[in-house]
This record gives sequence, structure tokens and C-alpha cells, in this order.
Amino acid sequence: MFEDENEDADLYCYDFDQEFEYDEYLEGPRTVLASSTQVITKESLLAAQKADLQSVMQFLPISEHNARVLLIEYRWNVEKVLDVLVDKGKDYLFAEAGISTSKREDSASSSSSSSSLTCCVCFDDVSSNNASMMDCCHTYCNTCWTTYFIVKIKDGQSKRIKCMDPKCNTVCDETIVRNLVGATNPQIADCFERSLLESYIEDNNKVKWCPSVPHCGNAIRVDHDDIYHEVECACGLQFCFNCLLVTHSPCPCTMWKLWMKKCQDESETVNWITVNTKPCPKCHKHVEKDGGCNLVSCICGQNFCWLCGVATGRDHTWTSIVGHTCGRYEENKVRGSIRAKNELHRYIHYHNRYKLHLDSLNLETKVKVKTQEKIASLESKQSKMIDFSWALNGLNRLFKSRRILAHSYPLAFFIFGNQLCHGKITREQRDTKKILFEDYQQQLEYNVERLSKALEENFDTFEELDVMQTRLDIINLSVHVDNLCFKMYDYVENDLLDSLFPTGDRIAPYISKGIERALELPAGISKQSVDLESSTDDKTGRHASLKHDLPRRIEDGECSSKKRKEEASTGDGFLDLNVPPPPSPHSLYKG
Amino acid sequence: MLDAARVQKELVECNKDCHISGISVDLHRDGSSLYHLTGTISGPLDTPYEGGAFEIDIVLSESYPFQPPKMQFKTKVWHPNISSQNGAICLDILKDQWSPALTLKTALLSLQALLSAPAPNDPQDAVVAKQCLNDHTTFVATARYWTEAFAMRTTVGTEEKVKKLMEMGFPENLVRSALENVKGDENMALEKLCSG
Ligand SMILES: [Zn+2]
Ligand SMILES: [Zn+2]
Ligand SMILES: [Zn+2]
Ligand SMILES: [Zn+2]
Ligand SMILES: [Zn+2]
Ligand SMILES: [Zn+2]
Ligand SMILES: [Zn+2]
Repeated sequence: MFEDENEDADLYCYDFDQEFEYDEYLEGPRTVLASSTQVITKESLLAAQKADLQSVMQFLPISEHNARVLLIEYRWNVEKVLDVLVDKGKDYLFAEAGISTSKREDSASSSSSSSSLTCCVCFDDVSSNNASMMDCCHTYCNTCWTTYFIVKIKDGQSKRIKCMDPKCNTVCDETIVRNLVGATNPQIADCFERSLLESYIEDNNKVKWCPSVPHCGNAIRVDHDDIYHEVECACGLQFCFNCLLVTHSPCPCTMWKLWMKKCQDESETVNWITVNTKPCPKCHKHVEKDGGCNLVSCICGQNFCWLCGVATGRDHTWTSIVGHTCGRYEENKVRGSIRAKNELHRYIHYHNRYKLHLDSLNLETKVKVKTQEKIASLESKQSKMIDFSWALNGLNRLFKSRRILAHSYPLAFFIFGNQLCHGKITREQRDTKKILFEDYQQQLEYNVERLSKALEENFDTFEELDVMQTRLDIINLSVHVDNLCFKMYDYVENDLLDSLFPTGDRIAPYISKGIERALELPAGISKQSVDLESSTDDKTGRHASLKHDLPRRIEDGECSSKKRKEEASTGDGFLDLNVPPPPSPHSLYKG
Repeated sequence: MLDAARVQKELVECNKDCHISGISVDLHRDGSSLYHLTGTISGPLDTPYEGGAFEIDIVLSESYPFQPPKMQFKTKVWHPNISSQNGAICLDILKDQWSPALTLKTALLSLQALLSAPAPNDPQDAVVAKQCLNDHTTFVATARYWTEAFAMRTTVGTEEKVKKLMEMGFPENLVRSALENVKGDENMALEKLCSG
């Protein structure tokens, strides 16, 4: 064993250096931190929400109901609640959100005696057992409250049902709503419950539903303020957190939307072709009409009449073609300006390149399978090399870079076109920027093609030393391509967008490792929040009962999510293949 | 289902002191349904609406009082928060600020208060609102004219003047605007019409 290792020492040392540099380069200053995005599933939604509620209840001695009222008001931004509390005080904070603290213990106890009162909504006299008092001390009969709650819930106002008193801003206690509505209309009570839960997604700047169709049921949370971020949901969909479209960097959101629109309008292009070209009667190629007269010449040498499409001779005047009498030969109406035509040619140019890279991407699975076959065949050869992650890593780098290249064309189309950038900078300035950008693009394109070629080689049939060489080539090219992508993003962000659209969209940062996959949040109440909960219990002793207020199905949720997690951990073997393995020389060769 | 008992109680309660409040509610003329009512408010003193009796069409939904009543002026009125075309009202308590503890009477009282305090910055009728802001004198004159023409039980006076002037050969629209401009003075209107 040791002898074997010594024999390969040269090779191994050399490789180790390479790997090492690659790794160090990845760990450089531009590397983005560990996953800052999380998947919120149906099951973990409650836990995610509870954690935030509990952190508010930690610095304010209030019920979970009131913590929720505060967080809905401040869009689930715990820091913001804290800021307002510190800056403007508790009374202001509570008044603004609709929290009332005037309900006194004695008034609550006195109402428990069976005195009667007149409900100011139905004007009936009811015993106080059949009436409910909110935190603001306003009391109405239970029948009126229930009808009122149902009207509000059906109206989509579950998240902020105000007290029935005309001048009162207090939000009704969710426990009372839950109990009164649940007693007669359990389905509507469920609807209320769901609205409260989903507020965490819908009234929250940091959380958005995954845009998958059909919907996977998940939402994604980002832990920072950067909305220009690309994320991957647990369902596998990669999307832009800002515009919710499929990932599109380095093309900014607005330009991407314009581009998608333009591509959809491609039927317009087809129209243009039918209006502006006619098939040659001889070779059937589409021939574009260029000049003013109606005699057109195909590159095959055939002349024909533009109006009827019939083959003719070459002799003609403005008004007639010799020997041809279709009777429609007349002064041509100029259809569309030459400018519009140039604009279209420009679009076709960019679209072709965009499409080229997309088409290559569509072969992704096919190429992956082929590479795996090559790896399998190498492995069966009892080669000394046992780690082939370089091939799959290279492949992932290739796909990632191709996607970037594809998206760089819509960006260039708009940023160097007249539609958006007209008059922002001088023509010369724009041309200089264009030359520089195209230089990045061409370098990237060139090296992506080289990487593609290297990966397509049948290295499974190579001699061992040649396999080693291919491996090195692929690793080096991957590093190079990665570096070029980074530079391109940097140029786009700093030299193009910053100077041309200082107030417009930004782009998602370039992440060498690939789009971050959001981590699934645990569905049970996390350890941290459990600790929080017990600590509040210790301090005040009054929050313990809140756990009983939780609807029953939360417990069910916990059970089913545990099951789900197990399934996920066995079924999902995907790890980020773009990340090169850490330098572990012993795994490279069989001992 | 509509809470009929409550509506009945409201009607009794409201009409008890209508001579003081100037506010009354009755069933709509052509029906005996509690869903369709007619409210009447008297124009507030010291406003161009003084002396007028304004009728309001009231429609209740199934879930009244948990949803606001629909109210609309039947009497034409010149006011920035009431449509001069169809009498539609722009008032928050008839929309999102409604509370089940409010009543038809409180809503009508709010309409009365609205007549006293126009809010031209949150208008229902843009033309009226603009006039109210830019040319208040004309606004007051027009509002007064409309009150006399449409909200007074004795509108015969104005209509007779119109008829008389029309018989002299002036077209109706000119006659009405002339009368409006001079606050109903027949002689001044004639002078105005003659001078072109
Ligand atoms: Zn009641
Ligand atoms: Zn209240
Ligand atoms: Zn998803
Ligand atoms: Zn986007
Ligand atoms: Zn041809
Ligand atoms: Zn010619
Ligand atoms: Zn012809």
C-alpha cells in the first residue's frame, strides 16, 4: 500500500497543489456565506412563525395573540418592533398596532357573575355569560360577535378584525374569535386559522411563495435585506427572489421581463418574415425585398415578381417586368422604416446567441448520463484513480456558465440598444463599454466551448496518464471559467448598471458554488425557541397556558413533518456538485 | 338573514325625536320590505342647504348591521362629496369605517354633518370639488340654488319663474343658469337674459 502511494508521489503532489489553489481561490473574499435562505413548508410554517412570536414575547410581556398583532402590523420584522419600542415607547407601539391593555382583572371577574347587559348591536338584553369582553373592555353578545367575525373572515379581513365599537382600534382577541366561530362554523374557523398562519408569508418582506406551477406548497425566506437574490426551493425550482421568474442573472429583472415579452412576440418576427420575404419559385428560400422595385432576385439567380411570386426574367422597368402581366406591378408602399428592420436584425442576432446556449443546456441530462457512463467505464477498469468528481464538477460548471452566457445576451441587447439607454451616455462612451463587455463575453464563450469539448472527449478510452491530463485540463478550465463569470458580473454591476441605471435593478450576486439551495426549516419548534419558551415561563409564569391555545392540528403537523423529513433525507442525495471536494489526497487513489 | 328586530327597533328609536334631530327613516314608498328604506334629513342651519329636506335611499344587505347600509341621495344636491349626477356618497363610515354598533340614525347624522362640513379634498364629484376650492362664492350660490330648486317642498316658486321666463322665449337651460347666477331673482335674471 505504501509503495503504491510512493510510486505516485510525483503525480499526487502536483495534483494536490492544483486542488489546493482551486480551493483557496473559492474561499477567497468574494465567497458568500453559508445558506441564508430557508424553505418554509406547510409543516414548518408554524414553527417559523412561533420563533418570531416568541422573540417578541421575550422582550415584551404580552400574549401570543398580541405579539401576532404587532408582527402583522410590522410585517414580521422583529427588529422593527424593537426599534419602535425603543424610540417611541410601549404606549405608542401598542396604540398604533391596535393592542389594548385596559382590561382589568377585576372587571373580568365581575362580569363572570350572572348580571345582564344590553348588547349595543342587537339591542337585546343578554346575561353576561352569553357576552364576551375584548381587551379594550368593550362587551357585546356572543351571537353578534360570532356573526361579525364570520362576515369579516369571509371578507378576507381575518388578520385584523377590529372591535365592534365604532371608535375602538383594538384588534379582537384571536382566542375569542377561534372559540366563538369554531363552536358553530369549524370550516370558517379553519379559514381564520390559515389566514393567521399565512400572514407570515404574505405580510413579510423576507418571505415569498415559491412560484412553482403546480405549486409545491413551499415558501422561501431570505435572512438578509438583499432582494436581488437567486434561490432554489426544495422542489428544485431555481428562481429570482425579486421578480419570481426563473433565474436570469446577470440580466436584471426589468430587462429580463422585457426580453421574455419580446420572445413571446416572436410571432411578430414570423409575421415580419411573411410580410417582408417571399419564397423563391425555384429554390424555395425566403428572399427579402430590398430595393424599391418589385423585381426580386434570389441568390440562386432566379428572378421573380414580388407581388405574385411568379418566376420572371431580369428585364424590367419601374412599372413592368418584360413578358410578365400580373397587373399588380405598382409603386411599392414602403412597409416599415429601414430602422425598424435594423432593429429586428439586431434582435435576431442577440436572440440567436441566446438560443444557442439554451439549446446546449437542453442537452444537460443527456450529457450528464453520458459522462456518468464514461465514469462507470473508467471505474470498472480498476484504475488507480477512484475519485471522478472532477468530471461532474466540470459538467456543472459548464451548465452554470452556459446559463450565464445565455442571459448575458438579453442584457447586452437592452443595455446597448436605444430602447432603454437612449441619451444616457454618449455614443462613444457606449461603444467603449460595449467593446469591453463583448470582450468578457467572448472570452467566456471561448473557454466555455473549450470546457465543453474537454468534457465531451471519450476519456474513458484514454491511457491513465491522458486521463490525468484531461482531468487537469477540466479543473483548470473550470477555474478559469468561474473567474471569468465573476469578472463579468463585476463589470455588469459596477460599470454598466451603476453608471447607466443608478436607481434601477441590481443583479443577484455571482455565487461560484451555484445557486444556493434553501435549507428546510425543522417543522417542530426549534430547540432555540423551546428554550425561549421555557425561559419566559420561568420568568413570568403566565405564558405557559398559551400552548393550550394552539389549534389541535399543529400537533398533527409535527408528526407528519417528521415523517416528511425522514423521507427527504433518504430520498434526496443531491449535494452541490459545483463544489470541488476538499483536498483529500488519500481518496484520490486506491491505496 | 337580516336582523329584522334590530331594524324595527331602529325605526322606532329614530322617529321618536325626528322633530328635534331633523332625521327620520321610513319604509320605501313602493314596498313593505325592511331591506329598502327612505331616510330624510333636514339641511343644517347656516349652510346653503338650510331649509331643504333631503331624501336618502337606503338599501340593507342580508348581513346588516355587520355590513354597512347602502345610502344614496335621491334629492339632487350640490356638494363635493355627493355626486351631482346620481347622489352617490363618499363617506368613510359607509365603507371601511362602518361598525355594527352604528345605526341608520348615526349614519344619517353623519350625512347631515357632511352637509355642514364639505371635504373637497376627498371628493366624490370632481367638478363640484374644484368649484368649492377655487370659487367658493359661486359654489355657495349653486348649492343654494339646487337646494331651493330640488330640496324645498315649495319649489313651485322657482319652477314658476322658469316657466314664465321660458314663455318669454328663452331656452330652459339659459333660464335656469341665469336664475342660478342671481340667486333666483326674477328681474335680475330677465335683465341678464336680455343683455345676452
Ligand atoms: Zn348582540
Ligand atoms: Zn373595543
Ligand atoms: Zn417550490
Ligand atoms: Zn428577477
Ligand atoms: Zn432561389
Ligand atoms: Zn429594379
Ligand atoms: Zn406578378
